[in-house]
Amino acid sequence: MTEPSTPSSAALVRLVAGREISSRIRDKNFIISSIVIVVLLIGGIAFQVIANSGADAARLGIVGEAGRLGPAVQAQGEAVGVDVEVAEYDDAAAARAAVEDGEVDAALLDGTGSAPELLVENRDPTLEAVVGGAVSGLAISDRLLAAGVDAQSLPAVAVTPLGDAEDDQQRVIVAIVGVAVLYSLLILFSQFVAQGVVEEKASRVVELLLATMRPWQLLAGKIAGLGALGLGQIVLIGVVATGSALAFDVVSVPGELISTVVTVIAWFVLGYAFYASVFAVAASLVSRQEDLGSVIMPTTILLVIGFVVAIQAAGDPSGTLATVTSYVPGLSPLVMPVRQAAGEVAAWEVALAVVLMLVAIALIVRLGGRVYAGALLRTSGRTKLREALRAGRA
Amino acid sequence: MLEFDGLSKSYGNNRVLEGVAFTVAPGSMFGFCGANGAGKTTTMRIAMGLARADAGEVRWRGRALDQALRRRIGYMPEERGLYPKMKVGEQLAYFARLHGLDSRAAARAAEQWAERLGLGARRGDQVEKLSLGNQQRVQLAAALVGRPEVLILDEPFSGLDPVGVDALAEALLEQVRAGVPVVFSSHQLDLVERLCDSVGILARGRMVATGTVTELRQRESGRVLRVVVPDAPQGWASTLSGVRVVSQQGGDTLLELDGGADEQAVLAAALRTGRVTHFAWREPTLVELFREAVADPAERGEEVAA
Repeated sequence: MTEPSTPSSAALVRLVAGREISSRIRDKNFIISSIVIVVLLIGGIAFQVIANSGADAARLGIVGEAGRLGPAVQAQGEAVGVDVEVAEYDDAAAARAAVEDGEVDAALLDGTGSAPELLVENRDPTLEAVVGGAVSGLAISDRLLAAGVDAQSLPAVAVTPLGDAEDDQQRVIVAIVGVAVLYSLLILFSQFVAQGVVEEKASRVVELLLATMRPWQLLAGKIAGLGALGLGQIVLIGVVATGSALAFDVVSVPGELISTVVTVIAWFVLGYAFYASVFAVAASLVSRQEDLGSVIMPTTILLVIGFVVAIQAAGDPSGTLATVTSYVPGLSPLVMPVRQAAGEVAAWEVALAVVLMLVAIALIVRLGGRVYAGALLRTSGRTKLREALRAGRA
Repeated sequence: MLEFDGLSKSYGNNRVLEGVAFTVAPGSMFGFCGANGAGKTTTMRIAMGLARADAGEVRWRGRALDQALRRRIGYMPEERGLYPKMKVGEQLAYFARLHGLDSRAAARAAEQWAERLGLGARRGDQVEKLSLGNQQRVQLAAALVGRPEVLILDEPFSGLDPVGVDALAEALLEQVRAGVPVVFSSHQLDLVERLCDSVGILARGRMVATGTVTELRQRESGRVLRVVVPDAPQGWASTLSGVRVVSQQGGDTLLELDGGADEQAVLAAALRTGRVTHFAWREPTLVELFREAVADPAERGEEVAA
């Protein structure tokens, strides 16, 4: 029989972390929610693939020679992101039959004549607009030509693509999906931390724990254990999402997809450290799960604001709101990844946001640790922040 | 020696402890008695570092208790505390590890203590699925599983059935035989009297009596003699010098003797009335000693000892 030894701080933190992981990992709700997230993600990507392939190709039947009409319709379709395949039919009856059989989505009769008519089985506003635009466009240019005006001489907007706008767009979409996942996981795991703190207080097991370790060791172990689990989950999601996106060929530039995913994961680590600490400290003020909602509400609202701003930032990554909030600790983990993905930030800006976040975390751990220590043993009702601070300092 | 030395504690204007002091020798059991709210729990919480004393300290082997020493103490809090959703065996092993056992020793200790306290079949069950009595046993096992050098138990016997009481008493006596000092608080004074080498009585934050039960009895002022004289007339002893009649019902007489009074003279007087069927010093029970000790001199009779 070996004599009991004095465990080091690291050993105690590891023990606490190990308990958190092993009890959470066997929790049915946790397992189910993890599976649901992964399934939703893969499902979402698969849906994207199917939806894109379905919507892109519209088939249009044209009676007689397609002539200029075919290319005009296809050009018009391209402008709104719809591929149009053109099939030629000899007469109106054959075109009508083709529409009825579903061979084509629509058939255009007398496209260049005075009374053009579009036959459709199911109405499709996009296709109708495309065909309509092409027909009237041709008619206008014909009339202009007849009036002696060369359509070519009309001023046209020349488009010059700057940089890789389309790739940025793709990266921003990836970043939004990433931030949505990050936001859900931050809420989920911070809640786990908060519930764990209250559970220990409510069941009074905290008295036994504090007889063997210091409050900060308990807090560190809890946050580290659940954090490791959360990190594992976001990495898993990142790998699954990247893997399936590449497999389904949804993205064109894999390197940038991966760098965005890595950025999101890195911000998760910072964001989790921030929110888990705040949630744990807030939770230490109450002794019943029923009271938990009211104390974590302000922080939850901050998290929701961060998410909303991040979505907004995706549309306007260089706007004032996005720029300012991407430095604010607590908001930056949600907003900055979107700005980074949009390619609108310099390295120093990211570094500044990270430093500010680290400072905030250090402050919270220091002050919050004191509140936590002061409040843990007060099991009667709700402890005031100031009382807890005073008790923690004594 | 486990020494509680001059502990004082106030919550605001409420003085909870005033100079509480007692010592517990290794291998002895100390029964901590006192009315509800007398300060027993606060004293134990101070020892465990869960409350801070305004003055005084608790020492083990001459060293003030710190985190490392406290880890060697098996503690059972007044408000029971376990992880409700954790399995009994895993929970015990976890606490053993927190007390410094390595994982294999912890698993073995958890198994042994679960077996010892009659929880062998419930090792794989979540604590919240157990009856309150069985949860109580798990709590005890949690205090014992870390191979403690000292045991501090707040009301360990409350809520246990007689079989549980016996199992726990046996476990505690075994710890005592192994040289562990045991402090426990209890309102079950018959148990305290049966198990404890020494007793401390706390009233309104002060230790009003400490010592072995025998010492406490001897310290009791005045000596009470019970004499049963079936044929004696009422007031047969009222003329004896140095003797006060406490009560007489039929021939059953309780007499309180001064220090100088001679009990042989009382016996002679009793014999003169006729038959004497009972003649003995009456030993006060711990309950009586307790009532005597905790009664507030200012409001005697109002304070109700639990």
